[in-house]
Amino acid sequence: MSDFTIILRSMRARMFSTVTTVITAAVAVALMLVILSLKDAGRKAFDRGSGDMHLVVTAGGSSPMVAVLNCVFYANPPRSPLSWPQYEQLAKRAPWAYAIPTQQGDSYAGQPVMATSTDFFAKFKPNPGENWKLAEGRFFESSFEVVVGAAAAKITGLRVGEKIHLTHGIKQSTGLGDAAKNEGIHVHDEYTYTVVGVLEPTGGSHDRALFTDLNSTWIIHAHDRRVREKPGVATTEADLLDEDMKITGVYLRLITRGGSDTPANLPQVFDSLRRDGSLTVAQPAQEIAGLFRIVSNIDKLFLGIAGVVMLSSGIAIMLALYNSMEQRRRQIAVLRVLGASQGRVFGLVITESVLIGLLGAATGVLLAFVGANIGAGMLRQSLGLVITPSLPPVELVSVLVATVVLAAVAGMIPAAVAYRTSVARSLRPLG
Amino acid sequence: MQQTAALHISGLRFKYAGRDRANGESGGYCLDIPELTLAQGEQVLLTGGSGTGKSTLLQLIAGLMDPMGGTVTVAGTNVHSLRGASRDAFRGRSIGMIFQTFNLLLGFSAEENILAALLFSSVPTGEHRSRARTLLDKLGINKPSALIEHLSVGQQQRVAVARALACGPALVLADEPTASLDPENSDAAMELIQTACGDSGAALLCVSHDPAIRGRFKRVESLAALRGTSQGAAR
Repeated sequence: MSDFTIILRSMRARMFSTVTTVITAAVAVALMLVILSLKDAGRKAFDRGSGDMHLVVTAGGSSPMVAVLNCVFYANPPRSPLSWPQYEQLAKRAPWAYAIPTQQGDSYAGQPVMATSTDFFAKFKPNPGENWKLAEGRFFESSFEVVVGAAAAKITGLRVGEKIHLTHGIKQSTGLGDAAKNEGIHVHDEYTYTVVGVLEPTGGSHDRALFTDLNSTWIIHAHDRRVREKPGVATTEADLLDEDMKITGVYLRLITRGGSDTPANLPQVFDSLRRDGSLTVAQPAQEIAGLFRIVSNIDKLFLGIAGVVMLSSGIAIMLALYNSMEQRRRQIAVLRVLGASQGRVFGLVITESVLIGLLGAATGVLLAFVGANIGAGMLRQSLGLVITPSLPPVELVSVLVATVVLAAVAGMIPAAVAYRTSVARSLRPLG
Repeated sequence: MQQTAALHISGLRFKYAGRDRANGESGGYCLDIPELTLAQGEQVLLTGGSGTGKSTLLQLIAGLMDPMGGTVTVAGTNVHSLRGASRDAFRGRSIGMIFQTFNLLLGFSAEENILAALLFSSVPTGEHRSRARTLLDKLGINKPSALIEHLSVGQQQRVAVARALACGPALVLADEPTASLDPENSDAAMELIQTACGDSGAALLCVSHDPAIRGRFKRVESLAALRGTSQGAAR
């Protein structure tokens, strides 16, 4: 028998109140942890999407943030295209480590298709310092070959060797009333693509896309144009006109020296490109930071809500203990008769409160782990953001310590009641 | 050489704050005991009607309340000269209490009720379990691990007695121990309490207004007779 046994017996005797209080504390802790963990994980996922590029360029007229969201995170296909000569000119304007053309607008089973050059896999790193890795097959080498991102492969079930037809446009939704929005969407069933590779996950936005070469994309769109003019015609690379060779974005990286990832000439290059009104130039790193400045206000709101929930769970612990004091006056009086000092019963009640806080915190960590994984799954499904929920140990420990401190503070008032319990009055016979 | 008394009360006076009795004789005190002494191992019945301050007296002896004047000495120690935790510790090891409603710890087993008493005593931790087992055996408590609320009233009474004696007290205070029992059971309960106290060598001060148990005591004191007299006559 120890003081701890007395606390456990006391908690068992009031099981319902103990369990509901623990759950209240657990929900508060879980909410706090999920918000903290998703906040960091979300940020990481956005950082991963932009890989090692320094700049992204789309046609003029859109905002830099929209350019980044569309070109890198597949929010929507960019509306205005860049012409091939514009790209060629751009590629000559600075000493690029790479200038990778990208073209979006088609989809397969709701997943975006990006047409690009072989440099996309050879030079662009989806995560700084990490090259693309194949789970299966190879990268595309010629037209009408497709490489499938890891998440896209999971969603569509595509494997190497499968034959597919791409869809022109991306269906917004299958709900009623979306017909107008989805107008013009049709399947390019004249041209069959072959899946040649499936990528390993990168944790970034590209995981949910399919990749093919620019030529095949230009051919199927040129074919649409030519069939409108003359039904039944076949289209090959030789039939491509300049106007068919459009792209929607360019990923750019400057040559870096001396181990630094940010080249000294980036600001000048950025400024000179920005002066060209036909282009929208964005630095993904800055745009993502800007995006998170906006989102961080929402984060603060959520953190505030979680804080209020934690506080209210502290009050719940206090009320649960305080209400139980009525039932426990007799028990405390008996303990006093048996020789327990006032300080010791004060300690017993505080320890019980702390124990409820600890149990709540531990349950909360478990709940948070499950909750964050469910949340990450939902984000992956709806936004294609691959998030690995993780919580920095410092934040985890801070939340746990805060919970225990709050529980101890919540135990003060009931403990004071226990301290002041009149033994003589509490031991009078019942009835 | 004179032995130290288990209990010695001298000039004890008490009244509740804000309450003045219309009793001129006792100077408004609801309790006024010039002197009362219990020798080691002595068993005394203290009688008195309802509201005469019997339970208050026990609370004062146990150091759960402070008197207006006078001294209470238990096994040679002036109870009210001790303060705070040391008085609580003294009560834990020197005074056992038995209540009418037992006041056992609900949610605890029979054995745990006895262990709880030992927890606050000066008995070495290593001896707690063996001491509890011995008492449980001796008092015929046959389900030591059953929760207290699952035991019969008779068994609960045994646990209450065992708990009072767990720390080897010099004095056991019994507050109306038979008030909720029928005559047959009350006789058995008193037999249990008196035998157990006798075996352990503890003195017993039993307060009761139950006339049926008077015959069980060699010495019976009346609270009314004690008031203002030096000591009641032995009966």
